[in-house]
Amino acid sequence: MFKSLKALRARLVGPGSIFVLGVGLAIGMVFFFSVGSFMVYANSEEFCANACHEMKVNMAAEYKGTIHDTNRTGVRATCNDCHVPHEYIPNYAAKLGLFSDYWGHFVTRSIDTKEKFEAKRYELAKRVWVYMKENDSRECRHCHSSGRMDPEKQSEKAHRRHEKGRAEGLTCIDCHFAIAHTEPNGPGPQELNAAAAAAPTTK
Amino acid sequence: MPRRIVAKVRKWSAGTSAIVVLLVGFAAGIVMLGLAGTTLVHTSSEAFCATNCHEMATNVAMEFKGTIHDKNRTGVRATCPDCHVPNAPIPLYIRKMGAVNDLWGHYITHSIDTREKFEAKRQLLAERVWIYMKGNDSRECRHCHTVAKMDSDKQSDKAKVRHAKARKEKMTCIDCHFAIAHNEPVGGPGPQELEVDRSLLSRGAIF
Repeated sequence: MFKSLKALRARLVGPGSIFVLGVGLAIGMVFFFSVGSFMVYANSEEFCANACHEMKVNMAAEYKGTIHDTNRTGVRATCNDCHVPHEYIPNYAAKLGLFSDYWGHFVTRSIDTKEKFEAKRYELAKRVWVYMKENDSRECRHCHSSGRMDPEKQSEKAHRRHEKGRAEGLTCIDCHFAIAHTEPNGPGPQELNAAAAAAPTTK
Repeated sequence: MPRRIVAKVRKWSAGTSAIVVLLVGFAAGIVMLGLAGTTLVHTSSEAFCATNCHEMATNVAMEFKGTIHDKNRTGVRATCPDCHVPNAPIPLYIRKMGAVNDLWGHYITHSIDTREKFEAKRQLLAERVWIYMKGNDSRECRHCHTVAKMDSDKQSDKAKVRHAKARKEKMTCIDCHFAIAHNEPVGGPGPQELEVDRSLLSRGAIF
């Protein structure tokens, strides 16, 4: 065993060749391709909605039948479309945040029963709302280009409220919350403004 | 020139320790695949497809403006690549290779560099896309439009009846939903009149 390790070390320290370069190139490509494929797989509905029972019995079950799941045209938005950033850097950051999910799943078991999930529902919803408010509902806007919305195809109420929302500097999630999951009890996204805005405006 | 580069690389790798050569190769592999992937992503963007050649910018992209896939109630769009670039890996690579033909037409034969030339070829080009879509059962349509997730109660009565009829008659999306993003060619046969070898369908689902 030691002998073969020594032999390997001798080979690695010794001069390389264009063949070794080719092997490195191939390993690098396979490595990069694997990471990329894993990122794609970890973004699929099949993975997000099924891999842990925490998602499956709570969020994914609630999502069924909502407008982003079934609708007139069959054009859908699944878990990752709303909850995983599409730009490179935020995407990688979010994927690293997965460790928090592993921690909760394997170690603290923070939401492994319906009761525990319900007890944390408001806190979890608030976390997502704050994230979306801070980035101006970036994930919503990845699919919904507000510049390409046809106000004439919207209801009069929607048209009016969108104008009002724009004038007041609101973002998508301020009104369109609890559209894919059950609404928690407690202050909604718009009320979160009040607390945040209180400090700077009182001067 | 390339032979001299190869000789240089050969000399360098022979004079460097194997582990360093391996690591440099590893890094080069990541960079190469990263560049290739980034190129695929960039060349599948609306910014690239709709503006890079005037053939696209002045004809098909112009006609697309204001259609239902560009502008609609929700602002959820489908741009050039969503309909015309396969999403499955293997067909995607094949289509990207096929883009060499576009370069040929753009730089060498100038096949559609004027509005007149484009109009003269419109039926031919449309037929080519229709046959491709019929052959793979409108795969690119279905990448966004999941039939099983369509809520027929939200569709008009006419749409409901027609979708049921089309399913029974084994029709595919493009058979009816053609010329919805670009002008309809005049005079020639539409997708329903075009013969497609349906036995190719399973193959078409891959290529």
